[in-house]
Order: sequence, then C-alpha cells, then structure tokens
Amino acid sequence: MAYTLQFGQVTPYLGYLAGGAWLALQLAAIGFVVGWAIGLVCAAILHYGPWLPRKIVRAYVVFFLNTPLLVQIFFIYFALPDWGIVLSSFQAVVIGMSLNAGAYLTEIQRAGFNSIRREEIEAAETLGFSRLQSIRHVIVPHICKVLFPPLSNQYIILTMTTSIAAIFGVEELTGRTYNINAQTFRALEIFSIAALYYVALTLVASAALYSIGRYFFRIKGKVF
Amino acid sequence: MPHLVIEKLSADYGATPVLIDVDLAVERGEIVAIIGPSGSGKSTLLRVLTGLLKPRAGHVHVAGTEVNYASAEALRKVRDRFAIVFQQFNLFQNMTALRNVTIAPTIVKKRNAAEVEREARELLTKVGLAHRIDAYPDEMSGGQQQRVAIARALALKPDILLLDEVTSALDPELVAEVLDTIRLLAQDGMTMLIVSHEMAFVREVASKVVFMADGRVVEVGPPAQIFDAPETTRCADFVRRILRH
Repeated sequence: MAYTLQFGQVTPYLGYLAGGAWLALQLAAIGFVVGWAIGLVCAAILHYGPWLPRKIVRAYVVFFLNTPLLVQIFFIYFALPDWGIVLSSFQAVVIGMSLNAGAYLTEIQRAGFNSIRREEIEAAETLGFSRLQSIRHVIVPHICKVLFPPLSNQYIILTMTTSIAAIFGVEELTGRTYNINAQTFRALEIFSIAALYYVALTLVASAALYSIGRYFFRIKGKVF
Repeated sequence: MPHLVIEKLSADYGATPVLIDVDLAVERGEIVAIIGPSGSGKSTLLRVLTGLLKPRAGHVHVAGTEVNYASAEALRKVRDRFAIVFQQFNLFQNMTALRNVTIAPTIVKKRNAAEVEREARELLTKVGLAHRIDAYPDEMSGGQQQRVAIARALALKPDILLLDEVTSALDPELVAEVLDTIRLLAQDGMTMLIVSHEMAFVREVASKVVFMADGRVVEVGPPAQIFDAPETTRCADFVRRILRH
C-alpha cells in the first residue's frame, strides 16, 4: 500500500513546534551550564581535594554514569515526593539532566586538570610570574583549549537528550511532536520535521562552537 | 670579586642529597660549561640557582649581593638575576613567539608594552626568527622553539643566563642553529652557565669547564685541562668514554 506524504496537514503546527525547539534549547543550555559548574567543582575536588570529599565525588560520578538518565529522573520525579520533595516535571527533568551531565562533565574536566603541563608552570615561575599570573596566563588558557572540543560534544549530546523530557509531559520538541501526532495522525511527516528541528539545533550550535573554538583557542576542526 | 660566587651549595630531593657542597666562581662575561654523567647534579645546580629547588645550605652571590632563596618575595628578586632555558623549551603553547617573549616584561616588570614589543622584535630578529614572530610553538621546529625560549629568557635582561642541555631534545640538523645563537650571545659578553653534552662546542666557547659527579664538583679547569689532561681519574674516565666516538 502506497503512503502519500501530506505535509499540508502539519504545516499549521510549525510555529508550535518551534516553541518546543526553544524549550529543548533551554533545557540543554541549563543542563549544560549547571552540569559544567558541578563538573568543575567535582573535578577540582578529585584533583586537589582531601580523601573524604574525593570519595563522595567518586560515588556520585560512578552512580550517575552507570544508571540510565531515565531512571534517575523517574526517581527524582516519583520517589522524592515520598520525602516531601515535590517537583514539577520540568524541574525534575532539569535537575536530573544537570546531575547526569555533571557526572560526565566531572570526568571530562578531570582530564583537563590532568593535562596541565608542569614544565610551562615552571617556566612561568622562573620568569617571575606570581601564582595568580601563572593561573591566569598559562593554566586557564591551556585548560580551556584542551576542554573545549569535548565540552562542545557534550553540549550537542545534551541537546538530543532533552527529548527524554517528553516522557514526563514536558512540552519540548519531542513532547509537542507527540501532541501533533495525536491530533493529525501524520506521524511520518511530523517526526521528519521534528528531526529537522533537532538537526537545526545541533548544527547551529556546532557552527557557533566551531567559530568560537577557532577564534579563541586555535582549534582546527570541521563542522562536518 | 667574581660576578657569580657559589659557596658550599647543597640541596636534597626529599631525603636524597643531590647537590653537595658545590663551590664555583664565574667572572662577568665568562662562559662556564658543566659536564658530567646523568644524575651528577648539573641540571639540579641550575634549578637551585633559578629558585625552582630550595637549597638546604650554602650561599650564592651575584655582583656582590647575596641571593636570598628563603621567601617567595625574595625569590622574585632572584628572577632578575638568572634566566633559564630548558631542554624541552617549555614555551607557552597558547602564545605566539612574540607574546612568549613580551609577556614576562609586561606583566612581571609592568614595563611599557610598546617598548617591550620593540625589544622583543629585536631579540627575535637577533635569534633569526624575524619571519616567525606570529607563529605558535606547535607551528615551529624544535630549533626555532628553542631560539624563542632563548629570546624569552633574554627579554628579562638577566645578569646570568643558564642553559640546561638546550640542544639535547633537538634533531641533529637543528642543533647548529641553536649553538650559533649561543655563540652570538657569547660575542656580546653574556655571562653563561651551560650544561651540555656537545663537547666540541663546550671546548670552543667555554673558558672554564666544571666536571660534576654524584652531586659534587669533581674537577674545574680550562677546556684543555679537562679534555686533554684531566687530573682526576673520575673525570678522565668520563672524558675518555664520551670522546671515544
């Protein structure tokens, strides 16, 4: 049986879908920024911290890297209310994604700390740099350059992970796609368009990150 | 009084003594080479002088003033006296050749940026890198990087330049360009302490050769003495082994 594509039925929803894409972008951005901050603190603790905090961070990272994000959000959304913590689905998804991203970004940023070149710091020291000058002019630029590509990748991955929010009724891109499908039964058409929206979100981000990396960190690479 | 006087200088790595009662005097404009087997304390001596490793005992005088290695504040003054060039160049990878040379005078000495840049361009021209001023370290050959490192060390106008096996990490065909740069500095009357395995070069430029072993200075003399008629068996053995091929 031949299937005839009928995009005409779904075109009125393009604006509605764009709103979902905007929410997906927000989820990815919040998850990334919070996760990045968690990861930075945790990586610093792993690198410089005393025994007990290091063990606590390790336990956090191991737990979140080895359980599915979906299960983590289920726990936050459905189990925490038993302890009196009631969250909206949006809040539960943001917290789950941030904690999950935090674990991945801890590992990534730990690698950044490990890549600090002792010899360059010694050179700075012999040239009379203060500790602060050494951090500002040598250590931080180096870490930024090393971490930029993996952090960029993580952001792109996070953009696609936001689709999990649909399961909890958050009306982001995937959630709204479901809604339109329920009304039009034009699954192939609307999911194709949703896919294009995701591609647009990641491609725009890739292009922006590529330009930033090239301009600020001399990173040679390709969008494609 | 000699320009640099080292008296009974000793240092440890943890519990291991790596420098034991080292005495050495260097006149202004003199080029002193330090040779010896690996682990003999040659590089350690330079690291102590430049303040990377705290001495346990002893004194260092430069131009009649004692260098104080005790506190961080005093250490910053040491940096005015000595500049060091490392075996592995240790350039700042995130900066161009020019920035590598200008950064210390600008942020440490707080000198006028335009004036510093003019001097840096002169220095880079002098080491033969006028055409690579805007290149980053990973775009340059080892020889070029090492010449940038020399320019960077000179930018602080040190009293004494310390060269720590500066050609050991270079491909053989790149060694000559770095040695030529050092010859140029020698002509200018720069006081230098050179740790090197380039024996022919040492014989050519050094006025005095120090042979070290096991953290001690074993023999000091003009190149002719050290290479042709060493007085200690330890030095004779080392020289014989190294000059055989």
